[in-house]
Amino acid sequence: MKIPNPKAQSPSPKALLSLLAVLVAAPVHAQEIGVRGFADIGSRTFTATESFTAVLGTDSGGVFGGGVEATLPLGLFVNVRASRFRAEGERVFIFNDERFDLGIPTVITVTPLELTGGYRLPFWTRIVPYAGVGVGWHTYTEISEFATDSENVEMRRTGLHLLGEYGVARWIAAAGELQWANVPDALGEDPNGVAAHFDEDNLGGVTFRVKIVVGR
Amino acid sequence: MTTLRALGFGIWGLGFGLWALGIGMSAQTGIDRGLRENDPPRAPRGPGGDIIRGAADEGPFLRGSLIVKFRPGTPLDAQRIMLAQVDASAPQRVSYADFEIVALDAAADPEAVARQLETQPDVEYAQARYRVHPQFTPNDPLYGRQWNYPAIDMERAWDINPGATSEVVVAVLDSGIAYRPAVVRYNAAFQFRLTPNGPIFPALGVVDVPFAAAPDLAPLERFVSPRDFIWNTDLPLDLDGHGTHVTGTIGQATNNSVGGAGVAFNVRIMPVKVIGSIWDQIFGAPNRGTDDVVARGVRYAADNGAKVLNMSIGRTGPPAPAVQEAIAYAISRGAFVSIAAGNSFQNGNPVERLAEIGGLYEGAISVAAIGRDRQRAFYSTTGPYVEITAPGGNLRQGQEAGILQQTFDFDMVETYTRGPQAYRAPRFDAFAYEFFQGTSMAAPHVSGFAALLVQQGITPPAALEAVMKRYATDLGATGRDNEYGVGLINPRASLRGMGLVK
Repeated sequence: MKIPNPKAQSPSPKALLSLLAVLVAAPVHAQEIGVRGFADIGSRTFTATESFTAVLGTDSGGVFGGGVEATLPLGLFVNVRASRFRAEGERVFIFNDERFDLGIPTVITVTPLELTGGYRLPFWTRIVPYAGVGVGWHTYTEISEFATDSENVEMRRTGLHLLGEYGVARWIAAAGELQWANVPDALGEDPNGVAAHFDEDNLGGVTFRVKIVVGR
Repeated sequence: MTTLRALGFGIWGLGFGLWALGIGMSAQTGIDRGLRENDPPRAPRGPGGDIIRGAADEGPFLRGSLIVKFRPGTPLDAQRIMLAQVDASAPQRVSYADFEIVALDAAADPEAVARQLETQPDVEYAQARYRVHPQFTPNDPLYGRQWNYPAIDMERAWDINPGATSEVVVAVLDSGIAYRPAVVRYNAAFQFRLTPNGPIFPALGVVDVPFAAAPDLAPLERFVSPRDFIWNTDLPLDLDGHGTHVTGTIGQATNNSVGGAGVAFNVRIMPVKVIGSIWDQIFGAPNRGTDDVVARGVRYAADNGAKVLNMSIGRTGPPAPAVQEAIAYAISRGAFVSIAAGNSFQNGNPVERLAEIGGLYEGAISVAAIGRDRQRAFYSTTGPYVEITAPGGNLRQGQEAGILQQTFDFDMVETYTRGPQAYRAPRFDAFAYEFFQGTSMAAPHVSGFAALLVQQGITPPAALEAVMKRYATDLGATGRDNEYGVGLINPRASLRGMGLVK
């Protein structure tokens, strides 16, 4: 693996503007095309804080996933990731901001499929922050007991996201990644849903992941 | 009112075939027609007299007394002075009330005296003792199915909450309930007429009247804190049948291979008798179903743990502040109140004063009635206080279009309908399934529904009203209207509540 000269490959202003936040110890820029796989586990905090809290008792929860990334010359990369959030809660009734749990189990699953392109910032030899931007297709399901098929929810929405990463070794690296996703107009269509009650429509959120990367 | 029960008794031997068709028939237990001849003579229950009492010529309120509430802190002497100015007696405080009953001259006009008293700054309100009556329209019985439950998607609601549990107590403020066996000695000391110029019915004298528990409401353990404000006892036996029918819709035993179903069939029932029947009058009950009696019943129910109060009763006339304050008190104690909207649409559609109270408070709801066609029943009162709708039946659409529940065999009860010659003491131990119509029949659907919601976890009365209204199925004009309120109750949707998305 070649070690790039940071001075020779300084980031463009546009790439810097798209940087969300990242600290990653990573292998360095690859000058050739490479492929690597990754698996990750993390925690997602939803933008629709009140809605998720009402039904799940919390606005965040575990998320895991994995994907494939192609590294390109000049520090560019493209990756595809599938991840999954799943949590159990119960249906509720909200009155005067008081929540009444109705004891009807509900399972909410969010499965984003995301395509991300990014640029690695060659500041240091082993610490290489990066910024990425991409598009995601988010599948949301909400299945509750006693519901008919039409009363369960399955929908897909498109959103944008920004992220960053850092890797530490040649073939197997641990990395941290922070992602912000915006998925507007996904929730709140049905007036009898909690999201409509709280006037929240965004399925996005912030995800922090710990990532295991395999490959160069 | 006899078709169904005559069928039931007459062909009981064919019962299995009929049951297989899903037809409920007559009562199977608690009926002992031979007992009447074996009844031993007993001493009279109360003093009698030999007067002719016109049951039909009484006005809308009692004469000779008045309800008065003085402002807190008004000295007793000041109260007496004020009352003396209108020739009223010293106030008499009664239990479960924050008002007084004062005696007037029988010839005095209670409304005029009340107006006079209300000019006094220390009088919060004064009112005549208006009679409250059941909200049902008795009908000819017919055997049929309980269409009213599918009409509100009740079966799927029971999937979510199968009839609540005994943790929930529903008070039935009505004519009493056939909730236990008893033999009660009465003295029918008066002759009377049913109509001003009708025949005179003789005094029956001392009679022992048998009672039994309605088989489809049993067991006795379901009934808690019984109270009779008509007779001032703890034995609120039903001498009418209305309260028993209403109770059936709230909590008829279900899945027991007997009769019909009730909405919240596992709840406990608190029988609170606040309405008198013709037999209560004939037997000389000391109280009538007046505002003060109803108000006391409401407070009693709230004080004794009822979480839902069913009031299939009502009246027109002036406002009912005593009842209003009692209902407000019940709500403050965490009790939800379901009130029949009234059956007087075709009688000029007057304001129903008890139902009107429902519209004033979050936590009390006034209930209009629809027929089997989901249209407002012809009798169902309309007005700005109508809040929600439930099945009440419409017998103009056919005999099966009423609400079917178990109640008395009225052949054994309404003996006065066959003239003086056939007039005899009633029996309240024979039962039949009857179709009734009325907002009286609609309100208990809402009471049972409320009990399910309480069991499901929604307990504040205001929240109960909110969830009912939120998920009601709009009927009539779009949005709230004076015929249906916000629409037809939707128990299943309400019990499911909200998901994150829908």
